[in-house]
Amino acid sequence: MTSVMSLRWPTPSGLPPFHLIGGLLILLILLALSAPMVEVDPLRLITSLDRIFEFSGKLFAAPDWTYLPQLLTKLLETVEMTLLGTAIACAISLPLGFLAARNTSPHPVIYRLTRDLLSLMRSLPELVWALIFVSAVGLGPLPGVMALAFVTVGFMGKFFADSVEVVGIKAVEGLRAHGANWLQVRLYAILPQALPDFSGITIFMLDHNLRQATILGLVGAGGIGYDLVVAMRMFEYERMLLILLSIYLIVTLLDRISDLVRSKIIQGHR
Amino acid sequence: MKTPHSNAYVVDKVLPRKPLNLLPLWAIAALALLCLMTWNLDISFVDLFDGVGDIFEYISRYRHPDFSDLPEYLQLMLDTLAMALWGTVLALVIAFILAPLAARNFSPYSAVYRIVRELLNLMRSMPDLVLALIFVAALGLGPFPGILALGVHTAGYLGKFFAESLEQINKGICEGVASTGANYSQRVMFAGWPSILPEVFGTTLYILDRNVRMACILGLVGAGGIGLKLYDSLKLFNYGQSAALILLILATLMIIDYASSWLRRKLA
Repeated sequence: MTSVMSLRWPTPSGLPPFHLIGGLLILLILLALSAPMVEVDPLRLITSLDRIFEFSGKLFAAPDWTYLPQLLTKLLETVEMTLLGTAIACAISLPLGFLAARNTSPHPVIYRLTRDLLSLMRSLPELVWALIFVSAVGLGPLPGVMALAFVTVGFMGKFFADSVEVVGIKAVEGLRAHGANWLQVRLYAILPQALPDFSGITIFMLDHNLRQATILGLVGAGGIGYDLVVAMRMFEYERMLLILLSIYLIVTLLDRISDLVRSKIIQGHR
Repeated sequence: MKTPHSNAYVVDKVLPRKPLNLLPLWAIAALALLCLMTWNLDISFVDLFDGVGDIFEYISRYRHPDFSDLPEYLQLMLDTLAMALWGTVLALVIAFILAPLAARNFSPYSAVYRIVRELLNLMRSMPDLVLALIFVAALGLGPFPGILALGVHTAGYLGKFFAESLEQINKGICEGVASTGANYSQRVMFAGWPSILPEVFGTTLYILDRNVRMACILGLVGAGGIGLKLYDSLKLFNYGQSAALILLILATLMIIDYASSWLRRKLA
């Protein structure tokens, strides 16, 4: 009796809210309409189950340990691409961030232009930029680093500009009263206030960029992804498992490290 | 004490010694490391700067977008959007099941909590493009493996976010429902999800946004959508077609971005 009474949603009628039900209905209609487009076929999943099992059986073949040295160099390349791309993006996005912040931009037109440029840079995925850069400068890690740096500048410039726009005015006025010039105000009053945010974003982007760097190789832009595609195409299953495992390991490792650093930074500023 | 150093002694007493500023040292070390990495990757930025003129020449090849096949592109874009939608719904369904198990206050056993958390971690750490590669190899070409890849990868994110939201809800709500003798699924359905509904909306919208972005490039590995077309036209050095496709992707992503931020503001 009581259980029937109390098992209700926190709404007057005790039923889920109207807009939730309506939203779910619209979603179902959309799904039904788009089902033929994406060839969703539950039967196919069942009929290809034996293929999936066969594939996973092959995947867990004995790993090819002679491949290990090459794997390690490729992993190193991936990590280096991540670090280099992020560092270059840091260096570029600091000045751009000042130009894209309403309160530090020299002119409203420059402010708008920089904002639009940043939004253009981050609106296309890394892999599309990598494709373009690969066809511009050729295969290798260079287009990968360029693509990573490009998108990262788009994100970091915007976030940095956002945190510059909300800095306290007191330090700026204090420095100005001492006769500090244009550059000094930005370097010694605004930058220190925006720096904690900036380091937080940098760690976030580092994490994001490592994930991206593992797949940039798919289009020939360097890193472990290239070996993965080659192993797939050549059916070298004894390498595939090693590569997948190593991707999982480095991504998880950086995830844990960045969690640690982030909590350190947050505690340091509280 | 009349020694020549007495003055310095007094100053030392009054002012604490200035802390050693190690920043330049760290900066030099970081720069050296970056140079080392550049050398190891065999990248020459000098060559890059020498070729700036070539880069502008290269970009100018994209100046005539060729929209003659627009209906086909639009159809491909619709396929891509449909793929993103299905992937997000799949992720939502998986997260709906896994998230309460990964929330400390709802999970029936701590062992289940640990295992599901680790499972969500695993799902998140495999990039969706890699998952798409695997599913394409196992299931064949087409958008279906793409949906599976998007669904599995983003279910890891949604599950983690939902579990964290579930852990934040007021203890009283859980206890109130539990005191009526509600079982696990009743607790989740009547105490859990109703309390975090706004967060669920917001996070799912964000993930949908992200999935549209990813769906645009899943075609590269044969998982359907507009990506394959772009890959092919870039490979064939068909700059007009590539420019049109890039512009279309750009426009779609910007529209989705605005729409989702508008919807999020509406719901907030």
